[in-house]
Amino acid sequence: MKVMLLGMNHKSAPVEVRERFAVAQTGPLLRKLVDRPGIEEAVLLSTCNRVEIVVITKNPDAARHLLLEFFARDLAEGELPTGISLEDLTYIRHGRDAVEHVFRVASAIDSMVVGEPQILGQVKDAYRDAVEVRACGAVLSRLYQRAFATAKRVKNETEIAKRPVSVARVAVDLAKQIFENLDDKSALLLGAGDMIEAALVALDDHGLGTRRIANRTPAHAEPLAQRFGGTAHGLDEIDELLGHSDVVLTCVAAEDPILTRAHVEASLAKRGARPLFLIDIGVPRNIDPAVHEIDEAYLYDLDDLQEVAAENEEERRRESERAERIIFEEREHFDGWMVTLQAVPTIRDLRQRVEEIRQAELERYAGRLGLDDDQSEAIEKLTRGIVNKIMHAPISRLRDETNREVGLARLDEARSLFGLDEDADDAELSDLDDASRNEAESDS
Amino acid sequence: MVVFEHIAAALYLAAGVGATLGLTLSAPGVLTGARWCMALGAVAQTAAFATLHRLDPAPALTDLAQALAVMAWLGVIFTLSLFSRYRLPGFVPPVAFIAFLAAFGAILSTSGPGVDASSTGSIPHAHVLLASAGFAALGVAGLAGIFFLVEHRALKLRRSLRRRVPMPSLEALDRVNRVALVLGFPLLTLGVLTGSLWLDSRTGSLWSGSLHEAWTVVAWTIYLGLVAMRFAGHQGARQAAASAVAGFAFLVVAVVGVGLVS
Repeated sequence: MKVMLLGMNHKSAPVEVRERFAVAQTGPLLRKLVDRPGIEEAVLLSTCNRVEIVVITKNPDAARHLLLEFFARDLAEGELPTGISLEDLTYIRHGRDAVEHVFRVASAIDSMVVGEPQILGQVKDAYRDAVEVRACGAVLSRLYQRAFATAKRVKNETEIAKRPVSVARVAVDLAKQIFENLDDKSALLLGAGDMIEAALVALDDHGLGTRRIANRTPAHAEPLAQRFGGTAHGLDEIDELLGHSDVVLTCVAAEDPILTRAHVEASLAKRGARPLFLIDIGVPRNIDPAVHEIDEAYLYDLDDLQEVAAENEEERRRESERAERIIFEEREHFDGWMVTLQAVPTIRDLRQRVEEIRQAELERYAGRLGLDDDQSEAIEKLTRGIVNKIMHAPISRLRDETNREVGLARLDEARSLFGLDEDADDAELSDLDDASRNEAESDS
Repeated sequence: MVVFEHIAAALYLAAGVGATLGLTLSAPGVLTGARWCMALGAVAQTAAFATLHRLDPAPALTDLAQALAVMAWLGVIFTLSLFSRYRLPGFVPPVAFIAFLAAFGAILSTSGPGVDASSTGSIPHAHVLLASAGFAALGVAGLAGIFFLVEHRALKLRRSLRRRVPMPSLEALDRVNRVALVLGFPLLTLGVLTGSLWLDSRTGSLWSGSLHEAWTVVAWTIYLGLVAMRFAGHQGARQAAASAVAGFAFLVVAVVGVGLVS
């Protein structure tokens, strides 16, 4: 049994192609996939940045064709642009590479933003969906449990997810250094563009209490206000709104600052000198830098935040090297488990072969020796004991070897030494019979 | 008694070292362990005080070293109670190290003969306990003030973004400062009053004009001004933090400095 992965991500295909393959309900598709011959188990992960199928198969070549066909027929919406084939947009990983890839994805090392926290939840959802439709068996269950453990180790043992890499997240982190809780705080956002939307997403994740969005044209702020449960206002209401706000974020196209020191001082007088955190991501700046000189006002601009975001991103890249070492270790463990799993059929065949020989020899001599029931039972126990004792050490060594190369070599040797892959060879058996007979006669 | 004091001192030391390591290595488990160590240290010190009277001769609480140990013990308990409401990373190392020094000082002081305070009645004990509790609470206010000023400066210089060691939020520090002041000032006032009553029971006068009394009354007056300014809304958080630090520094001089000199 081999692990195999076929996928498409932000590195292999542009978003306009990826979005055609994204699926919301993976369960029915997975069921359909594992019902096809050659696919033992499957997990399908579909996010905005990647679509990946991990399968367990005995025949990787056939599975590859099957998965490409599955991508094209069952996942794709519409035709691909002419001149582009699905093989150009996807990647295939086999065996250890596939295992390593799954670990890397779950640990957010393969993400567009390294260390982002959402992917682990998405991988867990994909695994849960596969379990629900019984598309996930022993091997993929083990693989995903190890992937979750790897992600946990990467999170705990490296600094990869500790520091934010987006301007909005850096701003939220900073707000937490000023305020104990964000859920009882009010935010005032000036503008209604993409940056304000990104900030609202970040603030929403941290449960900020009240959101007020002010824009030159209040109607443009209305959709954002509705989406994030806030209220829309005009810029002419700033003075009033400022008095009720703890966090102010501005990103407005304006030649001159729209918030001056006088504005902020007046608002602080109204709010009883509670701290005010201002983030100015407008270019040119929307808030007079002199505001930072006020004791209770903490003003940060785009350069301050962007510089930190860039440093954090660089640090995450450095940390990803440590994460790769953890992934390598975990992959080795999983490999060891796969080897022991592959040992099961060999051990079963070996036991069966030895038992057949024991039974055959017992039958051969049972009539000749004229044993009563007690004696037959004693001989039965004796031969079984001898066989078990002889087989104990080789079976243990086959079962417990976790080094992939050594383990696979031992399995091959065992199959060869005991002739487990050969059909019952008459000549060989008759030689064995003769030898046994001679030995038995000389003993008697 | 001495055994419990030794255990308390060891646990405080372990808490201080553990919390410092936990903060620098960003290890939350180690920090939690350090907090538990400090709590166990407080339990051991409680046991030490509970068995104080069994010593012969019993060391007096009015002894400066013992009084400082009581202050540190109450400070630890107050700090631990704050942890249930506020995230205060960074508070354990200074509190634990101060508690260790105070407990260790008390161990050294018990080696000499003590003065039996019980013969002078309950007022000296009430004075020591109330003044120590007030001192401890105002000490926590001062500590919160120091943290606030450091954090405020880091935010103003835009350095806090790059800091690796977690710090409490400005809001939490300001609230701790406020709570500690609300609790500490009345206790200090009661401590000053019981001190006068004790003096009256010994000398027949409420005021002897000693250096300790003079400095304590000045410290109390400073705190009265701080409390009035703070609750009348004339002070911002930064000024309140700076005032708490200055007020506590003055109180340390009044109680410890003058106590050591005289």
